[in-house]
Amino acid sequence: MLLSMDKELIHIIGVTLRMSFFSTLISCIIGIPAGVLLEKGRFTGRQLLKKTASTLMGLPPVVAGLIVYMLFTKYGIFGSLGLLFTVEVMIIAQVMLITPVVTCLTSSVVSVTGKNLSETAKGLSVSKTKSVLLFIIHNRRALLSVVLTAFGRSIAEVGAVSLVGGNIQWKTRVMTTAILLETNKGKFTFALALGIILLIISLVVNVLASLLTKGGSEDD
Amino acid sequence: MIKLENIKKEYGGRTVLNVPFAEVNKGERLALTGANGSGKSTLLKVIAGVIPFDGERLIGGKVLYMPQKNTVFDMSVMKNVTFSMTGRKKEKEEKAYEALEKVGLQQLYKKNALGLSGGEAARLALARIIVHDGDLLLLDEPTGSVDVEGTEIIENVINDYVAQKDRILIIATHSPLQARRLAERVIMLEKGNIAEDLPPEELLNAPKTDFGKKFVDMWRY
Repeated sequence: MLLSMDKELIHIIGVTLRMSFFSTLISCIIGIPAGVLLEKGRFTGRQLLKKTASTLMGLPPVVAGLIVYMLFTKYGIFGSLGLLFTVEVMIIAQVMLITPVVTCLTSSVVSVTGKNLSETAKGLSVSKTKSVLLFIIHNRRALLSVVLTAFGRSIAEVGAVSLVGGNIQWKTRVMTTAILLETNKGKFTFALALGIILLIISLVVNVLASLLTKGGSEDD
Repeated sequence: MIKLENIKKEYGGRTVLNVPFAEVNKGERLALTGANGSGKSTLLKVIAGVIPFDGERLIGGKVLYMPQKNTVFDMSVMKNVTFSMTGRKKEKEEKAYEALEKVGLQQLYKKNALGLSGGEAARLALARIIVHDGDLLLLDEPTGSVDVEGTEIIENVINDYVAQKDRILIIATHSPLQARRLAERVIMLEKGNIAEDLPPEELLNAPKTDFGKKFVDMWRY
């Protein structure tokens, strides 16, 4: 069954990857600089923001889904955009869930190496732009873990995406919601097969990502 | 030259550094010594300008600073040295290789720096510094985790680099003997204040304060 993937299954995999990729990308664009700022910045309310971010790490997906649903429903603030039950709104819900995770994990990466690295760079008269580059290069493995954690959370999420996406066939159905549906229908074998595909996707992404940062671990 | 006036640094309401006045002239070699937490590193950070502080600091020339908790970058030994340099790749690499030769790490230039030992990492940190043409060299315990042989290499490289251009050297060290080998003046700090300011021979033979006597005696016996 896994080998003879039908068109619908390919579509489901495509939607899953699109949703996970874009939600991870947006979360990292927001969360990584935010994490650096929360750790290195000196501004009023920083501690409160840090506490808020760590609290939001535990935000239940269905609650995030509910909030996004209320915002994008016909009578919601963004109702006129007509995005409810689309992949776009699923990405928005995912961003809401993942960004605090990315922010807090980045913050802890900075807290471990940030101060010493920054003093070493300053001591060598490295420019600010180059210092940022140095931070990224030096912490690339840790930052990759942050990205993979975000991707893993996104691809495995079911509560929020089923609420705001509606699990619509050929439109918003993703791997997790498809597994849920097949399980409810009693098709356990098919649900399990989907689960295996989901694991394989995660494995491939992890292997590709680790290959990207392989140089440097031994001789460079 | 370096001129410090009314320098104060506090951490959480506790004064860790209080220097009403200090001056270091061109070509002068100064060692900062004292117990742990006496303010050596803080004073170096103030001079290097890497931490905020109260008071006036006048610096003439380019400062190069090597912190005590020095980080080797997660890249090759060669790239560690060339990263902070400007210019063409080939020129940078040639200059970096020369610096690595001086500290005895040329054979490891391809290796990832995270795989270096503590002593090798300290020598790499010095190589990263000496590829730059600075006027003030600030080193915070550069031989803290280095064996005798490595210490000798580091001290020779420091001596050569400083002598090249009449550079100012300020080195924080726990060893009055290292202070004597590298510096012509020693400032001993005690609880953030300058307790002694004298030539190293005097510190070793006739320390003025009780703290100075105790400190030197601990090294003798």
